Formats: sequence, C-alpha cells, structure tokens
Amino acid sequence: MILHTINKVAGLALCQHLIAADDKVVLLEDGVYLGLQPLAFSICAIRLDVEARGLVGRLKEPVELIDYSDFVSLCTEADKICSWF
Amino acid sequence: MSSMLFVFSRPPHGSINAQEGLDALLMGSAFTACSVLFVGDGVLQLVTGQSTDALGTKNFSLSFGALKDYGVTRIACSMPDLLARGLHKSDFLIEVEPLDAAGMQALIRHHDKVLNF
Amino acid sequence: MNFAIVVHGGPYSSQACLSALKFAKAVLASGHSINRVFFYHDGVYTANSLIAPPQDEAPVSRQWQEFGTGNKIELIACIASCLRRGILDETEAGRYEKSGSNIAPGFTISGLGQLIDASINADRVVTFGV
Repeated sequence: MILHTINKVAGLALCQHLIAADDKVVLLEDGVYLGLQPLAFSICAIRLDVEARGLVGRLKEPVELIDYSDFVSLCTEADKICSWF
Repeated sequence: MSSMLFVFSRPPHGSINAQEGLDALLMGSAFTACSVLFVGDGVLQLVTGQSTDALGTKNFSLSFGALKDYGVTRIACSMPDLLARGLHKSDFLIEVEPLDAAGMQALIRHHDKVLNF
Repeated sequence: MNFAIVVHGGPYSSQACLSALKFAKAVLASGHSINRVFFYHDGVYTANSLIAPPQDEAPVSRQWQEFGTGNKIELIACIASCLRRGILDETEAGRYEKSGSNIAPGFTISGLGQLIDASINADRVVTFGV
C-alpha cells in the first residue's frame, strides 16, 4: 500500500493516474477542499485542517477525519509515502 | 541500499522548484540507484528549445543530458500528461520513456523511497 | 520506525512547516524516531533567526527550534537553498563577506547529501511540499 498525501486541490490532477486500488490518500492543508467534491476513492482528511476551514459537516461521504497520530500510523502501514503539492 | 524515485511535477523557470529538484536528483544518483518520473507540468521541463539568456535565469534543462552519465536508472514521464499537453516524446531534449497509469504505479512500487519536487 | 521529514515551505508563505512540525511531534508521541528533518527550497526560511512575528501568531520557527533542541533532533537547512535566500551561519557570512549571520539556534546548514542520506537510512520519508 502506498500512502498519497495531497495538500492542494491541484495536487489531485498530478496523482490521479498513480493511485492504485489498495493505496490510501490523506488530504491536508488546502487539499481538504477536495472533500467538497465527489471522489472515486476513499479518503482521509486531517481534522485540524478541516476544522480550520469551516468544513466540518460539509465534506462528502465517505471522507474520514483523522488526527496526526492516525496520519503517522498510516505512514507506518504504508510501504512508502508520495506527497503531491 | 534504498533505491529512490524522484518525481518532478513543476514547470521550469516560473519557480526554482524544478531546478532544486534536479539538484537533488543529481546528488541522489551519487549515493544510490535513482530513477526520475516527470508528471503534470513537470513534463514541460524536458522540452527542447528553452532559451533563458534574455530572461537571465539558469537554463538548467541543459543538465538533463547528463542524467545517463550520472547513472540515473530510468527516465520516465506520464503518457497521459504528455498527451494532455499536445506533446510527443520527440519534443524532449533526451530519451524519455512514456508510461501509462499501470507503468507509473509499477515504477513507484519498485523503488524504496519517493521524493517529490 | 525511523522517519525522515522533508520541509519545502517556510513560515507564513505556506502551511508546510507548521504541518511538518505537528507531524514530527506526532511521530515522537507515537513512539517512533526521526533521523533528521531536512529543510529545502523555501523551507530554509524556517531557520531565519530574525523572524519576529506578532504576538498573536504562532512562532513556528521558534517552535521548531524548541522541538529540535528539546528532542535532540537534527534540523538541517540545505546550504544551496540557504545561500540563495540569505540564511547564513557565521562561516558562510565570512566566506561571502556578508554583514551578519542569521541561522537560528538548533538549525545546522549542510549539504544536499544530508537529504539523500536521511532518505536512504529512514524507514519512511515524508515530504511537506508547497
């Protein structure tokens, strides 16, 4: 499993072809705005960034809100991390 | 020894990101097995005919010719991102391997570490 | 597990160095280790000791200094990125005949090889880009 992080909306265009079926995606910083649109894959978003932007309750299902400790756990479960920015 | 994949996604000259990414790749290839993947506007780093003399920035595209000499294992780019920009591999300064989605995913899987620029 | 953390963004112009700090703290809190934090691109602005933010804004640079010093974690600012952006230690200020040095305590200016070395030797590398 590869963990992809996306920190801005434009980052999705960079990695959309690179996300394999068993990969995971974490949205952080301005990347959390991607949670406003329907997405083709399940996704996590950093809770602090979602709260800071007033997006709690506004994100599409099934975005899962996570803390930094969950982010660290995902990194340890992944074989490697790709950051899209 | 970890193998490393460098992923370049920024166009040249508008910011120094592309140039500093290349610096990191050249350093990496001195230490370990490295490959490079150009995605998004990063593919624009490779086009021929870049002329920066009048602009006054460094024409670092000339350094791409040295990648093979530095021992960079694979030099690849995103085929979908190439096509989306109306480009062909013949537009490039060096021989580059265009990869489809499956090819790019395999390239990422086969390297131990990925550094994005 | 051992982490290498790469930071491409400086304070105020991006959130990257703040996100990276929160991540770094969570790495240690989860019982993992960090072999090095490497500041590249505009990330080296984090190492500027002359930053003087308003009192009601997070002093990200100082928080990084405290994190690095308090946990004995290497904070490396890339020398090429630093020289381009005017972040100097005393050696470089002398070499280039500049009026003063401004590297913050806890940070060390060193070469790009430190990024590669940290990446090779870490179990995981995480980049906070801009």
